[in-house]
Amino acid sequence: MQQQEAERQFEKHIREHELLLHKVCRMYAYTDADRQDLFQEMVIQLWKAYPKFKGDAKWSTWMYRVAINTAITGLRKKKNFITSYEPASFPENISDESSGMAAEEQLQQLYTAIEQLNEIEKAIVMLYMEDRSYNEMEDILGIGEATLRVKMNRIKEKLRQLTKNN
Amino acid sequence: MMELDDLKKMWQQTPVKNINTDIMKILQQKSYGPVAALKKTFRRQMVLMFLIPLMLFTTNLHDIHGVLTSILFWSYVVFCIAIIVFAYYNYRIASKMEGMDAMIKTNLEQQVQLLEKRAKWEVAGMRGILLFFILLVEVVPYVQHYRMLDKWHSLPVAIRFGAYAMLLLLQYFLNKEIKQRKVGRHLTYLKELIKEMQLLC
Repeated sequence: MQQQEAERQFEKHIREHELLLHKVCRMYAYTDADRQDLFQEMVIQLWKAYPKFKGDAKWSTWMYRVAINTAITGLRKKKNFITSYEPASFPENISDESSGMAAEEQLQQLYTAIEQLNEIEKAIVMLYMEDRSYNEMEDILGIGEATLRVKMNRIKEKLRQLTKNN
Repeated sequence: MMELDDLKKMWQQTPVKNINTDIMKILQQKSYGPVAALKKTFRRQMVLMFLIPLMLFTTNLHDIHGVLTSILFWSYVVFCIAIIVFAYYNYRIASKMEGMDAMIKTNLEQQVQLLEKRAKWEVAGMRGILLFFILLVEVVPYVQHYRMLDKWHSLPVAIRFGAYAMLLLLQYFLNKEIKQRKVGRHLTYLKELIKEMQLLC
């Protein structure tokens, strides 16, 4: 009975912030099958960590931690060897139909550039695009707020360079 | 040129492709992550090591006295108990790796620390097994007679111990190779991420 109630509460929380998980999947997994697997793994990890959630952090902050940790260290066991996620293409074309060809191309260039960032930089970019405050980013990543601001500027510059080169 | 800030709005407004999000159904599924796979392996090891001596015992019920006085049987029991303890210790390390709710930097550092600890224990365990095997081969003939060991003991001591030394050396290099193949690439990947984060701090 208590278990069922906990499951219901958990489901309610997840439903409220489900989009957050999809965004992490979009940033770290590149095929539908990989996204499905990652989503499932993140929910399982969230459920396992759920009893430890004491409300010290915001629910969304806590969810980001588990989701990003799962995406970064959520490895796959291939045969007998542990391997990390293989970086694949970033195929999702998400430009809106009204935008022109040039805008779409630029968008693709930007996505290609993001794909070339490392996993930590991707996490910073994703949290930035999600409009998370630097304070919350610090709580999620464990990197100081001031350093994050500097890093964000560096990432923007890096993306500019990468889109220029692509 | 499109900037990250231009993408921000699009990113937030983009509908997400629908994937199976039946949360309750997902909760019935098992984790397919490597930590879960590791835990499963250790669980299997423990069960297997418990069952094998039991099987040996039950299949030799017609000669209980022979089994109970066999030094090889008791050595095997000790060996199995050691493996069970070892697997349980590894299982606990793997369980600690499951915690995913720490800050990303803390979690990465913990993962590296636990993976290295586990790899170190694996090397020590393999060496322990090998030394136990050597000790058994050398000591058993003084206590009980086994025909299969006669030929080996007819060889000069220098050759026997030379072979043991070679075996230990081979084990050292093999362990290095196995560690690299099993967790080496992943460890390097995690360490690179930590280095990246340390550079930031």
